[in-house]
Amino acid sequence: MIAIRRLARWLTVALVSAATLFVMARASATHLPWHDRSSARLRLSWRAVPERVEVCRVLSAEELEQRAEHMRQRMECDGRFATYALRVEADGQLLDESVVRGSGLRHDRPLYLLRDFALPGGVHRVRISFARRERTDVDTTAVAPAPAVGADTGLFAGRAGRETVERARRAGAAIPAHLALDTTMIFTPARVTLVTFDADRKAFRLLRANP
Amino acid sequence: MRLLERGARRPITVLDAAATRIYGWRWNPVHQSGTVAVAMLLVLLATGLYLTLLYRLGAPAASVARIAADPWLGSWMRSLHRYGSDVFVVAAALHAVRMLAHGRTWGARTVAWVSGLVLFAAALVCAWTGFVMAWDSFGERLAREGGRLLDALPVFSEPLSRIFAGDGPVPSAFFFVNLFVHIGLPLGMGVLLWLHVSRVARPALLPPKPLLWSIIGALAAAAVALPAPLGEPANAFYLAHTTPTDLFIAWWLPASERLPATAVWLTVVAVAGIALLVPRAMRRPREGSLAPSVVDPRLCTGCNQCPQDCPWEAITMVPRDDDRPTLVARIDPSRCVSCGICAGSCAPMGVGPPGRSGRDQLAAVRAIPELADPEGTRIVAIGCDKAGAGHAAALRARGALLHSVPCVGGVHTSLIEFFVKNGAPGVIVVGCPPRDCAGREGPKWLHERVFNDREAELQPRVDRRRVCLATSAPGDLAGLIAEFDAFAKHLSVLDLPVRTLEPAFEAVCDSVLSDQAAP
Repeated sequence: MIAIRRLARWLTVALVSAATLFVMARASATHLPWHDRSSARLRLSWRAVPERVEVCRVLSAEELEQRAEHMRQRMECDGRFATYALRVEADGQLLDESVVRGSGLRHDRPLYLLRDFALPGGVHRVRISFARRERTDVDTTAVAPAPAVGADTGLFAGRAGRETVERARRAGAAIPAHLALDTTMIFTPARVTLVTFDADRKAFRLLRANP
Repeated sequence: MRLLERGARRPITVLDAAATRIYGWRWNPVHQSGTVAVAMLLVLLATGLYLTLLYRLGAPAASVARIAADPWLGSWMRSLHRYGSDVFVVAAALHAVRMLAHGRTWGARTVAWVSGLVLFAAALVCAWTGFVMAWDSFGERLAREGGRLLDALPVFSEPLSRIFAGDGPVPSAFFFVNLFVHIGLPLGMGVLLWLHVSRVARPALLPPKPLLWSIIGALAAAAVALPAPLGEPANAFYLAHTTPTDLFIAWWLPASERLPATAVWLTVVAVAGIALLVPRAMRRPREGSLAPSVVDPRLCTGCNQCPQDCPWEAITMVPRDDDRPTLVARIDPSRCVSCGICAGSCAPMGVGPPGRSGRDQLAAVRAIPELADPEGTRIVAIGCDKAGAGHAAALRARGALLHSVPCVGGVHTSLIEFFVKNGAPGVIVVGCPPRDCAGREGPKWLHERVFNDREAELQPRVDRRRVCLATSAPGDLAGLIAEFDAFAKHLSVLDLPVRTLEPAFEAVCDSVLSDQAAP
């Protein structure tokens, strides 16, 4: 009798333990729904340097004289980084309209964009516009005159030239004032179509999964 | 907050009782939840070391897929790692709820509670990074959700989520940082674990060996029989319909994904705040049964026994103020949990919580006329008042004279001697399971004092055959009754006049048993 009781107890322990382990293993890999099977996705993602919108002026000889020699910057600029208006439409329906700024508290860091839009699978006409909001006539980056090389003397001779080169490099690295994409394409269900910014071509680029 | 405590008590008691019924109190894994969690940490370290050796930062998904495809070692090592983490989370959560339900969260236990919470949170983060390492669809899902939540904080200049957008490969630096966190956190958890047990003497870190190896063996068997599945490799351009989600680790994920990141953070802060405030909200006035122990310096002989027995290291020996050459015990009230074990350790009865020193215990039993048995035929049962519901009634129905105490570890052996001297044929002391004692070491020290001459030992003049130490665990009434019956039978063999109430017992016991069985 005792042996039977003991056997029954061991069987109970084994069964309960096995059931617990089975439940644990199943709960450890429960298939939870994530994305809708019929929907596709349009994703916008890029990193870019915003344009610097600034007003520059060349200091006069008198002004330069009043400054310590190592502080004699020939051209002084004041300004801020540009902001951009993003507009996304699919089949004429507005999906997003927002202002994108450079990151950081002072918005002086590169701008980052990441947006996901769910679209039903099928053919859609997509229009994306990313345009600088500031007026172009206040952007004096390109027109600010460089001082004559002859006037650029002293301990830091050649600085004006370097400043001009640096300003041009920075302008070249910035995202163009206006980017646009207007295309009709097939959105495959459960697939992502990515629109990104190609810094080399200075244009939008479409990326899709390999078939 | 008290409502929380009361709400947790009922399900924990039911679970305790159910597990005791199945596994017995010796191998009850619920009692051992804290030590099971530590054991799982060791399993995770061992299996994790093996998996790290085969993991490649440059090809995370491919390397994990290769490990999972290895039928000899890789597959079950990975599964054991996975199931070990699941058991860790369950055991740690259960341990925390048990402590809450039993009111063991405040006073000297505050450090353990707070460090335990941080440990639990660190374990969840560690598990999170572990799943991201595999870089399957579930890992990608967790990584995306993590990125979304972290992007809501003003910490990173570039949004983390862009890493997974698909306009470039996920950088190795991401997997390196993830691996670094996954390996670094357990090192920090080691320090936290030390802090967790730093305020207790002789912490029990591992479950008894049979239970330890049974759990590891069962998990290894599960790992072989039911290998943990691996999802499809992560793909930024593919929208997975489902993911093989580990609900033990990511139970919060479906809710989190539906909420704005700010709401998730606010919830996390609120829950963490409430949990951290538990010690403050649960604390009770240090008076009555919770008053810290005191020392009577006139009686203290400086024997140094109470500091050795105190499970909370609350007692130190210091020089005396008077001209006696010995040291005197001093209690640190902030570390004393009023378990009363020191009262049982002091031969001259000079230490203990107010009203519960050895002298107080003797005075109390002398003042209770019900405990006097004029016929001298009834067994005296000294029982812990935290014993299983219905157990006291069952013993009383069995004919025992019952004396309730806060913890059997605080019972002075003179009390046992008193009952034996006053005509009881035998004394049965009913304590909690040794690994589930609120005073941590009550049953252990009592056993040593009664049978192994540990100070304050039961005097040699007391016949040890007339003393029995039994265990009462919720869900094991039958076991307790069997122990009582065996003791009564043993006493009758000694030719001692034992009177038990057989017929009455059967009726009462049946009702008690059915009460116990009720859900």
